[in-house]
Amino acid sequence: MSGQRKSGGPMLGRRQAAALAAGALVAGTMRSVQAADASTFVSGFALPMNLDPHQVYDVPMQSMMLNAYDNLYRYQNDPPQIVPWLAESHTVSDDGLSWEFKLRPNIKFHDGSPMTAEDVVYSFRRVLALALAPAGAFLKILKPDNVAAPDPLTVRFKLETSYAPFFAAIPSISIVNPRQIEPNVKNGDWGKSWLASNGAGSGSYRIVPAGYRPLEYLDMEINEGHFLGWSHNPKPVKKIAYRPTKETSTRVLALLNGSLDCTDPNLPADQVEQINASKIAYVQKDVVMRTFVIRMNNTKPPFNNLNARLCFAHAFNYMGFINDILGGYATRDPYPMPENLWGIPKDAKGYDYDLKKAKEYYAKAVAEGAPMKRPLELHVQSENEQSVQGAQLFQSDLAQIGINLKVVGNIWSNLTTAAAKPDTTPDMWVHWVSTYFVDPENWVGQMYDSQFHGTWKASSYYKNDQVDALLRKARAAVKQEERAPLYEEAIRKIMADSPDIWIYNSMQLQGLNKRVKGRRFCTVGQGAEMRWITLDG
Amino acid sequence: MLRFVLRRCMLVLPSLFGLLVVTFLLIRVVPSDPAMAMAGDAATPEQIERLRQQYGLDRPIWEQFVSYVGKVATLDLGESAFSRRAVAVDIAQRLPATLTLTFCALAISVFVGVPLGVVAGLSHNTWPDYLLRVFSVMGIAVAAFWFAIMLQLFFSMELGWLPLRGELSATIQRPPRITGFVVADAAIAGRFDVVADALRHLVLPALTLSLGGLATIVRFTRAGVLDTLQQDFVFYERAMGYRRRRLVWIYVLRNSVTATVTQIGLLFGGLIAGGVVVEAIFDWPGIGSYTVQAILTGDRQVMLAVTLLIGVVYAGVNILTDLAHGLLDPRLMERG
Repeated sequence: MSGQRKSGGPMLGRRQAAALAAGALVAGTMRSVQAADASTFVSGFALPMNLDPHQVYDVPMQSMMLNAYDNLYRYQNDPPQIVPWLAESHTVSDDGLSWEFKLRPNIKFHDGSPMTAEDVVYSFRRVLALALAPAGAFLKILKPDNVAAPDPLTVRFKLETSYAPFFAAIPSISIVNPRQIEPNVKNGDWGKSWLASNGAGSGSYRIVPAGYRPLEYLDMEINEGHFLGWSHNPKPVKKIAYRPTKETSTRVLALLNGSLDCTDPNLPADQVEQINASKIAYVQKDVVMRTFVIRMNNTKPPFNNLNARLCFAHAFNYMGFINDILGGYATRDPYPMPENLWGIPKDAKGYDYDLKKAKEYYAKAVAEGAPMKRPLELHVQSENEQSVQGAQLFQSDLAQIGINLKVVGNIWSNLTTAAAKPDTTPDMWVHWVSTYFVDPENWVGQMYDSQFHGTWKASSYYKNDQVDALLRKARAAVKQEERAPLYEEAIRKIMADSPDIWIYNSMQLQGLNKRVKGRRFCTVGQGAEMRWITLDG
Repeated sequence: MLRFVLRRCMLVLPSLFGLLVVTFLLIRVVPSDPAMAMAGDAATPEQIERLRQQYGLDRPIWEQFVSYVGKVATLDLGESAFSRRAVAVDIAQRLPATLTLTFCALAISVFVGVPLGVVAGLSHNTWPDYLLRVFSVMGIAVAAFWFAIMLQLFFSMELGWLPLRGELSATIQRPPRITGFVVADAAIAGRFDVVADALRHLVLPALTLSLGGLATIVRFTRAGVLDTLQQDFVFYERAMGYRRRRLVWIYVLRNSVTATVTQIGLLFGGLIAGGVVVEAIFDWPGIGSYTVQAILTGDRQVMLAVTLLIGVVYAGVNILTDLAHGLLDPRLMERG
């Protein structure tokens, strides 16, 4: 055996050494070339579920469609302002039912065909027919036949009832090109399957279908003929390569080695220091409109008791969570909507962390027969570390006042399903409310008007007839001056009832390569609009 | 041999049907409502109800199952609730990436693991054996995500030799899709810069994925070699004056790798499952990340199709393993 032993080792060692040396040689001669190409922007923004802006409407879609599609009006700047985009102007009748938009002349789609009011009508009818996410704001107030094009540059809407958020929701509808979609319609599906993987817009960038794989990558190239022209940006990005990352560690490394120009805007706070210490990248902080809330199921005891709810509202360590866990990268927001939005009653005081008060309310609740000893469940979104940490913090404070809280891991799709009925909705759960449109309707309107019971946004199953009346009146009025006091009044009442625990308004953290210049931020789209950006070098 | 393969294929069918039943039932246990997820964040209850009817989610489970099996039999895997694309198309786009990664990892495991196992066997209880033992225990114990990050830190960040993530550089133009395998497509298109780029992207994920299998194969081969070395024919051949190299690498090895080959077949399933983590860390656009996404969003058609697919691949590999056994030891093939 000894002979074999001696010869066995070296024989293989030589081969291995040779193979390793060859490998090292190949690798060494081909030092990795990073994304130094100044015309390609490598974006780490998450991709939407598919590319059809009439099927999906969420934060990733917003950041995609701002580049590939145009809308009649668009949110720009920070704080967000709604500005004319494809439309030059609009008028509204006094009763708030008739809206007329004037289109700019000479707008062209990516295929070169001119955009007319008929295309806008087609787009809105398609949204209503598909009846998916972006249709939510329109389904109840707009019939397909009531969108019309009296002339090639005029679009007229006749609403069923006066609905002020209609205008705020106009930027959520992308105008699509029927001449590209119609040939791809199958079984009357409005080209749903086709547009999910293709583009038919007029936006600043054009989708390259061959460069798309759902949720993995997407390529877009510049649309030189965009109606706004490019005179404001002499050196725009020519190609956007969406290369979303799945893991935080990879995301940060890719930013630091220059192969990613921006991360997604949800960078964890503990990465800020490391990135800011690098020569190549930095972390951009922006206040957005995205609130973080712990929901309480107001139909289940003890949450059907006001004192019990007040007890919970005083037991969350708001500032400890914001400062210690989030590193201070959030703003305490005691209101049921972003504190930087109109309609907030500034005189209303929120609840503070005060375990003594919490105990007092606990005693009152018990005296009124609320089952405060019942073991309670708080469902978190397991894949989101922050929601888990917030829940654990809450759990430890509640334990001090004798409340037994169990933290249960769950996922978004299960939670929204459970929230469809009061008895399946968890005792408590955690979520964020992002900006789908910049209007109080997006928060208080849909969270606390009882007609929305059954949707995840209204999952505290709160019901107060006065609040319902105020919110409905505010929704029907047209002018912001009339609406604001109604929302303020509604919010005062909601806060007094304390149906949920409102924690913070987000600050988004996004890693950016230092070569990225000219970025413009708006909370809608989270700074993803690429037409303003130039790459140095 | 054809009969042998056919027989194995027939045996696979009931297993796959069983897999389908179990998966279908398990997915129903998950409370998530695909209609809700499909309708999106801003949907109203009416929108959700409409989708539920449209996709037949309101019908009894057996009815849904029968209709699903009927479709699968005609190779219609349905439509993903999210990408709105045929699941078969999505899978066809992603499977090549996963297969490339898995086979490369397997190749590394086998072509490095078997020789190292032989060395360990031959150097029984001396330092190369000890060293390899430490190495293989580490290989099994080390978490893939940790190893992946270490590789990224060293080869991508420190040395800058290899790309950090992805399948191709963002600035590179993709070759036209013919086979779906990027390396092959690039070679067909004559784009050797793309071939090189793709291969460099493959190194770190394949290395990470191969680690666990490599360690297992070293151990199994070592055991096999030790066993074989005790057999009479080895003494006989040595006495006959066979050259050592021939003796070890042909006769001993062939008789030692039966258990290893079984292990390779089993490893394949592990590699596809382990691929989920590796694909996530390296942003590898394969089946793993697709599956995770489907689970998180409750995309049932995708979950079912992927499970079925992995079942088919696994079954296929097992048939290949049996064939390999048959080739190593023709007596098995005769027994059928």
